[in-house]
Amino acid sequence: MSTLEATQAGSGRAERHTLPPALKIALLQIALLAVLLAAWELAIRFGWIAVYLYGRPSGIFAKAGILIANGELLRDAALTAWEAIAGFLLGTLLGSAVGLALWLFPTSAAVLRPYLIALNGLPKIALAPLIIVWFGIGISSKIAIAAIITFIVAVITAQQGAKEVDEDLVKLMRSLGASRWKTWRTVIIPGAMPWIVSAFRLNVGFALIGAVVGEYIASKEGLGYMIYYAGVLYDLNSVWVGIAALMAVALLMYGAIDILERRLRF
Amino acid sequence: MNALAKVSTEQPAAGSAVLKADNVGVAFRTGQQYVEAIRNVSFELQQGETLAIVGPSGCGKSTLFNAIAGLLRPTRGHVEVAGRRVDAATGQVGYMLQKDLLLPWRSVLDNVMLGLEVRGSAKARSRDIAMKLIKAYGLAGFENAKPATLSGGMRQRVAIMRTLAFDPQVILLDEPFSALDFQTRLLLQADVSRIIAEHGKSAILVTHDIGEAIAMADRVLVLSARPATVRALHVIDLPKVGRDPVALRTDSAFQNYFARIWADLEMPPGTA
Repeated sequence: MSTLEATQAGSGRAERHTLPPALKIALLQIALLAVLLAAWELAIRFGWIAVYLYGRPSGIFAKAGILIANGELLRDAALTAWEAIAGFLLGTLLGSAVGLALWLFPTSAAVLRPYLIALNGLPKIALAPLIIVWFGIGISSKIAIAAIITFIVAVITAQQGAKEVDEDLVKLMRSLGASRWKTWRTVIIPGAMPWIVSAFRLNVGFALIGAVVGEYIASKEGLGYMIYYAGVLYDLNSVWVGIAALMAVALLMYGAIDILERRLRF
Repeated sequence: MNALAKVSTEQPAAGSAVLKADNVGVAFRTGQQYVEAIRNVSFELQQGETLAIVGPSGCGKSTLFNAIAGLLRPTRGHVEVAGRRVDAATGQVGYMLQKDLLLPWRSVLDNVMLGLEVRGSAKARSRDIAMKLIKAYGLAGFENAKPATLSGGMRQRVAIMRTLAFDPQVILLDEPFSALDFQTRLLLQADVSRIIAEHGKSAILVTHDIGEAIAMADRVLVLSARPATVRALHVIDLPKVGRDPVALRTDSAFQNYFARIWADLEMPPGTA
């Protein structure tokens, strides 16, 4: 324990200098990760936890080095990212368009309501076997799973967003003599935009779930396949490398959404 | 007081009435219940006049407002603007609410141009009209600002500009200042009165603020509690131009009107 405390005290002393706040936060973030990894490594070394159940940081770094050097990690990460991004774009854009369009057609919206609620409640992953039957075990089935999950989330959020637009704005447009179509374009679409972007954020996560679970079920490549395969072999260090790579992909996608959101803010 | 109301509301249509409410009644069905919001309200709005409508809270003022704006079809009677029945919202009536209803993603200029855009006016012409209003009413330099960066008073001024820009026959004001602080409210009452007068517009002001009604209107129509009927009509005989809402408060004529309208509102139901 004394070594652990020394590590923490050491990292604490480093930030006493006056640093720019953003840099200070970044250093603390790195320090937090370093402390956790060091504690993990020490716990393995002193035999407090079993390495065959948890893997160990030094092994993970070694494994990552190998997988980066031979290009496998980048290839798998790029494939999974592509599946998630393609599914995300397809599902989210189509879904948002459908959800917004339902405002124009209240009867269709009412007819579809129970179906949308049922689909939303359904764990979409349950559809994965069907989709793999239809689309095969290649990349298209992973894109399809990601697209279907994100589609349903996007439809429901965009529809809700359109509904949440101030009724008085709709009345104002009516009093000006605007058609429903004009009101939709002028008030509903921009007014629903914050909701739609919040669905983007949710859908980044869902698209990755879709791609990875699709790879778990049937695939010969991608991070999901890599994690699944390593898990079967009890190669837990590889599992951790795969998880870290997925987190990196997710962070990059969230970063892109952040930029988009900042540009759409009013 | 009742005799006055009768005489004023049943006089034959004058040629210059820009808006006429004729025996308007509105009832709603909510579930099994049948709610009568307005029993019978008639009045005329003369060209260039500002008419205030006051009434106890929940008396159906907003329902009447919606009927005048063409957003709701009366169950009985009808509303005419410029001799034409208001059957649906046609853009002849512009309104301004407590909420400024500015589109937050649009600049001040694009907000002012909204009504013209809906009507399909040429963009360059709309721009000229909007810029003229923005300059005339003290927002020059803010035309590209987003509403979120403006104060509440400035936002309401943008809202009145948007209403004026498409040149409606009648301007409806529904408690337009009630969300503002007292000082801003008094300043805007004077501002908006002046702006409406300068454009020669006719306006209906729905409010629960008796002082605001007297400060801004030529006549004040007092409604009864729900279901609304006309209880009284007061002609406000104060100089229209330069009515200073602050100085007015100490004016004996103002206080006299205030007391009379207050008494009308206090009357128990059934005595009207």
